[in-house]
Amino acid sequence: MESFTLTQQLLQFMVTGLTIGSIYAMVAIGFNIIYNVTEVLNLAQGEFVMLGGLIMVSLHVALGLPLVAAFAATVATVTVVGMLLDRLAIRPVRQPTVMSLIIATVAASMIFKGLAMLIWGKNPYDLPAFSGREPILLGGLVIQSQYLWVIGFMVLVTVLLALFFNRTILGKAMRACSDNGAAARLVGINTQQMVLLAFAVSAAIGAVAGITLTPIALMDYDRGAMLAIKGFAAAILGGLGSFPGAILGGIILGLIESYGAGLLLSGYKDAYALIVLLLVLFLRPSGILGGMAAARSKRV
Amino acid sequence: MSKTAAPLLAIEQLTAGYGPITAIKGVSLAVTAGQVVSIIGANGAGKTTLLKAVSGMNRATRGRIVFNGREITRLAADRIVSLGLSQVAEGRQIFAHMSVADNIELGAYLFHRQRKRQLIDEGKEAVYTMFPVLAKRAGQIAGTLSGGEQQMLAIARALMARPTLLLLDEPSMGLAPLIVRDIFRTIEQLHAGGTTILLVEQNARAALQVADYAYVLETGRVVLEGPARQLADDPKVKRAYLGIG
Repeated sequence: MESFTLTQQLLQFMVTGLTIGSIYAMVAIGFNIIYNVTEVLNLAQGEFVMLGGLIMVSLHVALGLPLVAAFAATVATVTVVGMLLDRLAIRPVRQPTVMSLIIATVAASMIFKGLAMLIWGKNPYDLPAFSGREPILLGGLVIQSQYLWVIGFMVLVTVLLALFFNRTILGKAMRACSDNGAAARLVGINTQQMVLLAFAVSAAIGAVAGITLTPIALMDYDRGAMLAIKGFAAAILGGLGSFPGAILGGIILGLIESYGAGLLLSGYKDAYALIVLLLVLFLRPSGILGGMAAARSKRV
Repeated sequence: MSKTAAPLLAIEQLTAGYGPITAIKGVSLAVTAGQVVSIIGANGAGKTTLLKAVSGMNRATRGRIVFNGREITRLAADRIVSLGLSQVAEGRQIFAHMSVADNIELGAYLFHRQRKRQLIDEGKEAVYTMFPVLAKRAGQIAGTLSGGEQQMLAIARALMARPTLLLLDEPSMGLAPLIVRDIFRTIEQLHAGGTTILLVEQNARAALQVADYAYVLETGRVVLEGPARQLADDPKVKRAYLGIG
């Protein structure tokens, strides 16, 4: 293969960065949905991604379900897992404080990870790319078609969520809960139902991220925590609670990681997200698009 | 079912508070359908605690609340709304980051869930007619409204649920005198339209003017009650709450 020019390389890193950034954006969106309604950081968010990937592998590869059916069944299964997380780990907490609920999600993430190890073992699994592994050549760039699927699904998730939150009464009710929980109850919104819905939607988005990511990066039981950290860093970078911020934060983080690994030191790939997380927390804790005052006013 | 003399809302021997603090002790009161009933009292007398217990935002520790023949003492707030009892909370509690139109839309949340489109459309028309300023500002973010407009929005949002009983908690709080007059005119309008209202107010003069019946709350207990006009003439009320004599 001919050698790439620097420009081509930089563009190549950009495509990779956008792809991985789209995954982080989806994880960050998942964080935000639950955070906005409950103020809880669901540290099991990465496990939804892991479960999405592994369940998809089982349904599509092992059981031979067609791609679309396996995709739908996987998202549905992980959605149920998300709802169970709320019902079994969040709601039963006797004196719920934000801290105790976050700790409950940590415990849940460990349980998910342990169960996944029992079910799927410790080996990473591959998933066929949605439209084959033949790369697309575009002006000297080599783009895996799966990259486009990842980015496309991130865009789709974003559009659907925007419609949901701005056009449907359930979406508006969820926004109402994050805007003013007491007032939401006063207009007859069952806030517990909204929390359940938040977990369901977050889990579904996590599953989509996991399913689309697996053909590129494989999936194993142990990947959840790192994905959660990256997604969390993206959410903080963009401004916790902000959806445009989650996308921006995810993309920026993906690009930093891609360029950092490509141009600087690839061994520190995972460290870049943490460095960004620390820098944001030191320098601008409200993130790029977040208003701290707005975040503080949220109470359920 | 025949509507006998049973009150629309009956509160019996209610005790409630926050944690170890008891804010109201053994309060009993009744609201007859079609009336405006005012609860007046100083800051900290327990007025808000009482309303919060009725709307389900704060649990009573003892006593009973019966609304429309049904005990609601331990029902969740969102269930109570669905029975036809809406509260306009102290400090207005609008959805500050959402549009005026969305706030009003959400007032009819229960009708949305029941797919009663017609009730929603009628409700919107009614509240926009009642508060034309809200129609003008429908697309505006609610937090940017003036205090008076926010209070109107809070009332409009509560009315969207078509409540049989409307609880108003300090609707005049923090508003300029002219706006306060508007708010009380609204209350009179609602009264004339047949809405039953339980009003909690520090502004005793205005509260007694619009009310049919009134209670005076002091340190968590009912110390006086009677027809509003009679209370307005009571020397004790005059001295303590109306600044006369």
